[in-house]
Amino acid sequence: MDTAKTHQQWLIEMEAESRSKQTRFINGISTKLRRPMVTEPPRHPYRGAPDFWNAYEWNEQERIERFTSNFRIVGGHVERFTTMDDVTRFIAEKAKELSVKYVIRQNQPELDALNLEGELPEAQVSVWNSDPGQYWKARSAEADFGVVMADYAAAYTGSITVLSSKDKGRSVSLLPTVLMAIIPVERLKTRLGEIMVHFDEGGRESLPAGIHFISGPSRSADIENDLTIGVHGPGVVYALIVG
Amino acid sequence: MSGGHGHSDGATVKERADLAMNNEFLRKAVKFTTERLKGGKLKATDEHGNWEEWRERGRQIRLHTIAHLDYYLNRFVDNARANGVHVHFADTAEEAVHISLSIAERKQAKTVVKSKSMVTEELHLNHALESIGVDPIETDLGEYIIQLAGETPSHIIIPAIHKNRYQIADLLSEDAGEKLEPDTQVLAGYVRRKLRTKFLEADIGMTGCNFAIAETGSMVLFENEGNARMVTTVPKTQITLMGMERIIPSWADLEVMATLLPRSATGQKLTVYMSGITGPRRAEDADGPDEMHIIIVDNGRSLQLGDPEFQELLNCIRCGACLNACPVYRHIGGHAYGGTYSGPIGAVLTPSLQKNVAEWDDIANASSLCGACYEACPVKIPLHDMLIYLRRRKVEQGHGDKIEAAGMKGFATVMSKSSRFKTVLKIGKLGQKLVARKGEIRIKVGPLKGWNSYRVTPTLPKKSFRDGWGTLEAEIRNGLQEMAPEMKNRMEQIVKDRAKGGGHGYGHG
Repeated sequence: MDTAKTHQQWLIEMEAESRSKQTRFINGISTKLRRPMVTEPPRHPYRGAPDFWNAYEWNEQERIERFTSNFRIVGGHVERFTTMDDVTRFIAEKAKELSVKYVIRQNQPELDALNLEGELPEAQVSVWNSDPGQYWKARSAEADFGVVMADYAAAYTGSITVLSSKDKGRSVSLLPTVLMAIIPVERLKTRLGEIMVHFDEGGRESLPAGIHFISGPSRSADIENDLTIGVHGPGVVYALIVG
Repeated sequence: MSGGHGHSDGATVKERADLAMNNEFLRKAVKFTTERLKGGKLKATDEHGNWEEWRERGRQIRLHTIAHLDYYLNRFVDNARANGVHVHFADTAEEAVHISLSIAERKQAKTVVKSKSMVTEELHLNHALESIGVDPIETDLGEYIIQLAGETPSHIIIPAIHKNRYQIADLLSEDAGEKLEPDTQVLAGYVRRKLRTKFLEADIGMTGCNFAIAETGSMVLFENEGNARMVTTVPKTQITLMGMERIIPSWADLEVMATLLPRSATGQKLTVYMSGITGPRRAEDADGPDEMHIIIVDNGRSLQLGDPEFQELLNCIRCGACLNACPVYRHIGGHAYGGTYSGPIGAVLTPSLQKNVAEWDDIANASSLCGACYEACPVKIPLHDMLIYLRRRKVEQGHGDKIEAAGMKGFATVMSKSSRFKTVLKIGKLGQKLVARKGEIRIKVGPLKGWNSYRVTPTLPKKSFRDGWGTLEAEIRNGLQEMAPEMKNRMEQIVKDRAKGGGHGYGHG
């Protein structure tokens, strides 16, 4: 039986092999391109979307309307609230209506403030990664509701963006039956590019392991082109726009 | 993939197409699905507006990246390593398989959950995993069905396009050990439950890669079901197999690809999930893989680099729009192409990924050269030009017929005189006229029979083509009327045979 240490050694050997292979592999590409290897960043005059698109922007009302219609057309639900108290009330009502037993939520101050633990006495509310001894993927897999704060949203495609961290599990927006994503209205942009620019500007070191754009409930048309909802991910997705 | 048709019974495209053509359901299903996808694409691109500008931008980004592939690949690899990814390089399918199996062995893996990946199909990785006692589980609904049936995908986007719900219910009932109703919700619900436990138990998650972002070392996956997210979130080890040309420079460039790919593939504004994975889980994260490997695969791709006629093949973003647009694909279905990739892209890519001209097969003949594939392509790959180049090369290297060579030179002359990118469709039509009207080429050339059998025979049932194909169909029927009597008789005999349910032997010389 291999110990962790020998696995580590194996990985180091593989890396040495990979690095020597890299030189040959990339040199082969340069040779095929009939020039020496390019090591300086080449000028990229066509980077990103065309200029007319980068200037495209809707006002807040239009962003809300377009997001709503795009999200609904693919089978998602959208609700509009003025305050976070309204959000708490809505989630509590839905939980009661659907007899929810298990809820999992991200570990974020905005969600602490919802006080779901107090408002949903019938349900067991778990807070992602709040106890290192817990198997959090299983807690998410059994959850009826997953509650997350959206980091961004894009109206043009009807997409919610969530970024992973210690306090924000990728599983929470993926494994529960129902996903509740709260979108503070100032995070709702027009285009995907307004979100992606942060990843380019922040650079590699700023990025989390998982960045996910979610545009409605999980779906498949693999059986006779007949639309099926909730194949692997949540089959019911609520976008709750607040502010 | 060597040999090109390991999983199909027929030896040539023509023979395999005979099988497909005899399967009335396949033909209807393929047509129904592809027309729906095509309709969705047209609606989505229309709604979005400025489609030509987006296509041109997509093409420029791909051209730029491939022209500097050495730089961007190095940059991607450096960044991925800095993110904690173990990067490997594989020149061949065998090497990629060897690396994958070594990892599985080190991890003492029992099961591998896989999300849809054309590269792993290309490598026949499932068989290899089985050979060392590892159970590979396809988790995409369509792929799971195909795996149960012991088949290979027939469409890039909808792999089970050729199965109906009753056939699927039979397969899944056998898997479940109980009778499942042929109801889509019931069947999908069964697969969801069954695969949930598989995701949680699996030792390794295996994915393909739609795009790899050089500047941050991130890999990007587009999907609708959520299984690719499962595969990259739940198992402790992740292996990603990536074609070496999947690179784009930045997230800004991803916006363009995200605009082109889903609209072209399924007519969606964006797939339900688009995930950018940047390395394994961070030390303090409670999900995501502990260990992440990316295997960068050549397997014949570099053969297209530096080749002026075929380098643009590396621009392909695997959307499947050319399949949906292709009148030939819509008639014969994906399995007839015999390789991993079907349709117009498969007709060019399959032979191009192989070194040996003798293995080029007759696949390039399975095209009407009508230019619909180019028109549909979101990054403007001139596929129909490439089909001509491929046929010319085959002929030049002595695998064709001299008189066909004369015909191909005719094409080449027309092609070289015209400004290719603006008048492609016209050229395609001109090419047809050349063959249809210059009697000595059309009538006497033996090898063109094979070509004609695809262009002509399938169109005999008049309703085969949609309205948009009216002109093409008229041209082809004109061609038929001008055909030499003996050839016409043969064609008519074919139709009679097919009506009798025989259907074998048409077009065979």
